[in-house]
Amino acid sequence: MGASWLPASLRNTLQCACSPRPMALNRLRIFNTRTRHFSTSPSSRASFAAPEISFGRQREVPQGGRDQAGFQPVDEEERPKFYARLVPSSPSYFTAQPLFTDDLLVLQNLLRRYSTLPVVKPGEQPRMSWRSLTEYRDQVGEAVKSSKYQKIVQILNRLNYIHPSLMPPEVRAAINEYKRDINAFQNIAKVSPVDRLGRTLGAGRRKAATARAWVVEGTGEVLVNGKTLAEAFGRVHDRESVVWALKSTGRIDKYNVWALSMGGGTTGQAEALTLAVGKALMAHEPALKPALRRAGCLTRNPKRVERKKPGHVKARKMPAWVKR
Amino acid sequence: MILRNVVIRHGRKAFCAPIQKSFLRSLTTESSPSDTKSLQRPIENHLDETGGMAPEISNVNSGNHRSPSSQPSQSIDKVQANHIYKQHLKKRTNKLGSIVQKHYDPESLVQNPPKPEDITLELLMASQSHLGHSTSLWNPGNQRYIYGIRQGVHIISLEETAAHLRRAAKVVEGVAYHGGLILFVGTRAGQSSCVVKAAQLAKGCHLFERWTPGSITNGDQILSKCDIKVVDKDDNEITRGYEAKIEEWSALKPDLVVCLNPLENYILLHECGLNNIPTIGIIDTDADPTWITYPIPANDDSIRSVQVVAGVLGQAGAEGQRKRLLAARTGTVTWSPPPGLGAPQIDAEATAIAAQPKFAEPQPLQEQIPATNDVRGQNGAEDEL
Repeated sequence: MGASWLPASLRNTLQCACSPRPMALNRLRIFNTRTRHFSTSPSSRASFAAPEISFGRQREVPQGGRDQAGFQPVDEEERPKFYARLVPSSPSYFTAQPLFTDDLLVLQNLLRRYSTLPVVKPGEQPRMSWRSLTEYRDQVGEAVKSSKYQKIVQILNRLNYIHPSLMPPEVRAAINEYKRDINAFQNIAKVSPVDRLGRTLGAGRRKAATARAWVVEGTGEVLVNGKTLAEAFGRVHDRESVVWALKSTGRIDKYNVWALSMGGGTTGQAEALTLAVGKALMAHEPALKPALRRAGCLTRNPKRVERKKPGHVKARKMPAWVKR
Repeated sequence: MILRNVVIRHGRKAFCAPIQKSFLRSLTTESSPSDTKSLQRPIENHLDETGGMAPEISNVNSGNHRSPSSQPSQSIDKVQANHIYKQHLKKRTNKLGSIVQKHYDPESLVQNPPKPEDITLELLMASQSHLGHSTSLWNPGNQRYIYGIRQGVHIISLEETAAHLRRAAKVVEGVAYHGGLILFVGTRAGQSSCVVKAAQLAKGCHLFERWTPGSITNGDQILSKCDIKVVDKDDNEITRGYEAKIEEWSALKPDLVVCLNPLENYILLHECGLNNIPTIGIIDTDADPTWITYPIPANDDSIRSVQVVAGVLGQAGAEGQRKRLLAARTGTVTWSPPPGLGAPQIDAEATAIAAQPKFAEPQPLQEQIPATNDVRGQNGAEDEL
């Protein structure tokens, strides 16, 4: 749904295509193509002021050449007046954001009606991730401010506290409407299993390097790309990085590591191995997760080389200033 | 004697006192040689980074998974049963005890607003609509609405209030009867509920947040994305035949604006003045009555007073709508269609596909209308007459 980067015309088409809410046809107009009606006709106020003057029966003169087949000049009196008038689709028409205002009022009504239901204790409510502001804007097609959308989110959070056994179906429907399609809080990282030889596999990345590490119970031997730690990495710091997950948890003499690393430089490979060994170790001992997290062995470092900019020598460096 | 005392004092304690914990722990603690080795081995330069957590880590039982920290305090069935029992008790004991005859229920003015015939001086007095502002803040234009001064505060004459409120109710009812679009505006905190309710009753529009300046004078730009629809005389929506007209129709303007706080909405009232839109507003003693077409002298700072005024006007609008629909059912249409709208334009095939559209007009009439331009031409001819 994140179509905010598209050009305006395409975006509108896309919204109509993928929006769950039925869009009215006239939402399609982007540029205001309405013509102004400057009319001084008294007929619009006929019911308020004096009634329209009737000039009796006036026949239109048929023009022989231009007359179409079946076209008969008729009297105003004879033709029945078709009664139709224009009204706003929503009572929130003059707020300029009718869909948002209607949504807010619906939720406020729900909250008012069900505010007396029992609630769960703070922290026990199901964790929800609501639609982001951009997603909501794309859905309704209105420039809703963040503070306004926060009102909706606040009400939803309160509705989410209603005890699950007593949650009314309409509240559940409203919550489902604003729920993000993928709930990030339900996402459980998959743990690699211990295979029949007692190995676990972990993968890690850092800068341009990728690494895989197989960890097996043993006596503390480490082989990286078939070389020992001292042969594979010249820097002591890098060697320490590779086994940092084992070292920080005091497991260095209990496991053997056999690892493959490729791409990037030595630092990248070493720190990619930190991540790989940490994940593989966590598969052996899930209870170590908080300790490994605090030791920084489970967090992918997202930093990459910053791109070079035009006008700069490198990413940030500017050419030296020369007088004239 | 001293020895005996010692035995009496400490002998009892020696039997009763629990065995010291350190002794128990030393018996049960399992320490593997590798654990202690890992602890004793100097970790060169990173010991401080782990924050001394190595000992607790070595005690962690590797086979155990962490149990969830918080268990639900009450079982699900119990909460449901308790709630049902509470509702049951409430229902059974609701009518026991004394009944308070006259009392103020904050929700009731919004849920069941008073009708124009319910306006009494007692109601207005009870809802504090007589309280004006400090005498130093007054606008002399309101002199004729002021009853007197009490403790440095102007008191609004409730007879005037009632008379003006009844007149405004008549105006609202008339506009609703003639199919006009009524806009209720109350942008102060706490006014939203009564504004929405009044608009719902009168089938009008509501505005409880900031008025976007230019929504009337520049509506084509500001309200261009807001949907409009076509309804027939019975308020049933006409879904087909007007797509092209709706597409190019200019933004709607209200036919009557009810403003509950004119002081904050000068721009709105000015736009109404530019467009010849009548306005109804609550005029406190510090407001300028000339901003408003049909002023209602009352207290606009009290939520309760505002709720009474909005409720009365909403009920009047509901009455007007009811009368209009009743008249439409008996064959009298109390309004005239806007110029240039005309009859729905449906293609012949579309009519054939649709089995029997409710709004389809007789067949010969469709043939008489060749195209949109010709209809406009006819209208132009009418205008010239």
